[in-house]
Amino acid sequence: MSVALSRCIGRVLSRQVASSSFVAGEQHHAVQSCWFVPVMTLKTTAALRAVPQKKKKKADPRIEALVRDRLKKKLRKLEKIPPEFIPIEDFITPSKCLDETRQRSTSRLSVEESERRALLLKEWCLYKQKQHMAEVESVELALKAQKEALKELKLESEELYQAALKPDPLLFPFAHEGPTFTPPKENYEAPDGKYVDITKVYTQ
Amino acid sequence: MSAPCGRMASRSLFQFLSTFGRTALGNSGLRHFSGTSARRVTAQSKVETERASSPWTLVAAVCLRRLPVISADCSPIEEEVRGMLQQVEFEKSILSDHELRLLDDTERMTRKQAEDYDSDEEDVRKDQEIVLTQDLEDSWEQRMKTFQPAERFRDDVDKDLTSLERCLDSSLLLLAEQEVGGEKMWLLPQTQWQGGETLRQTAERALASLPAAAFKATFLGNAPCGVYKYKLPKAARTESTVGTKVFFFKAILSDDSPPADPNASLLWVKKNELQRYLKPAYLMKVEPFIIGL
Repeated sequence: MSVALSRCIGRVLSRQVASSSFVAGEQHHAVQSCWFVPVMTLKTTAALRAVPQKKKKKADPRIEALVRDRLKKKLRKLEKIPPEFIPIEDFITPSKCLDETRQRSTSRLSVEESERRALLLKEWCLYKQKQHMAEVESVELALKAQKEALKELKLESEELYQAALKPDPLLFPFAHEGPTFTPPKENYEAPDGKYVDITKVYTQ
Repeated sequence: MSAPCGRMASRSLFQFLSTFGRTALGNSGLRHFSGTSARRVTAQSKVETERASSPWTLVAAVCLRRLPVISADCSPIEEEVRGMLQQVEFEKSILSDHELRLLDDTERMTRKQAEDYDSDEEDVRKDQEIVLTQDLEDSWEQRMKTFQPAERFRDDVDKDLTSLERCLDSSLLLLAEQEVGGEKMWLLPQTQWQGGETLRQTAERALASLPAAAFKATFLGNAPCGVYKYKLPKAARTESTVGTKVFFFKAILSDDSPPADPNASLLWVKKNELQRYLKPAYLMKVEPFIIGL
């Protein structure tokens, strides 16, 4: 770039020389000679703007590699430790509950009461068993009815039978609001509620 | 079994080919398409030939159910056990914050009433107004009283069989009065099967064709849950029709179904009221798949 610059300067000077010789033709030779500078004698020096750089030490890349290895070892050691288990909040009895002042002063159960409870539980056991057997029986009857229906359908037409056996992909997810204690009121506006969620979120 | 497999395989193969670009496999793709359509046409005609040979007419009926809206009352033993369990739970519990506050308040009141009461002994929170827990409880009671829940049981609505709001604690079935063989009778809404549709679509059509009622229902699966077949009286029998097979499909009434106008030809009945309306033989076939009440 410095060479090109010098060439430009040379051209400029020679142009100036030409113009000046045209305008002032009778001028002295001595004046013209000090303006005319031959291009070949122009010398350029190296770029003078750079800062002297530090010498690169050959041991540097080795030291960097050692540092990286040490970090990797530390990482591996940390990873070896098994992660802490997320505590199950329900299994930890809060210390508030173990307070002695909170004990209820209840009287002992009488013999009649405990007898009554035991007999009631026995009756309940029998009631629930009968209920369960009835449920199982009703399900079995329904299945029997369905099998009979599919058998009859197969006798009728194979194509309809195959169509009936296909699962319905649009059925699930199926949602239905369950029974409440009181029926929904017409045109009822529930009051705006606000709650702050304070569940603890753990990250492993 | 092989015929439907082949059909399904060819259909999936066609889809596979079409995704890879019709330009590259244009001719073969078109050939496949014509192949499947031809096979579909033959399948339909096969069904019709099958149907033509069978002497039974097919009918699909829908068993539409409105599930309970409120919880049912407990039986006597259930009530007893519920009371006992609540007692046991209460005995095994410890005092809650609210109860501790109540006890503290009563204790402070007794101390205030005592003659040697020194207010400086107590750490009185001067900037905080002491609100008695009892007052809090009373204010909550007052707020509860301002809310009037809807009634659970209304006798007049329960007696109206055409209303959808009756007997909210049990599930109801839809019955329609339809004409079958020149005779009007109460049965689950049904309609005859037409060629080119599955039986479930026939059942959906039966529901949609009910007079003046737009019920939104979820059909539970493609398979029928029951069948009732009857032979026509000997006088009406011909070579092609011996009798009818009625296939039942279960459906649940959706929550966001529009309220239907009370229609005299539609009834909502509980399971134990079915015997008043359905014929005995029909009821015998319908009862098993209506699980529950």
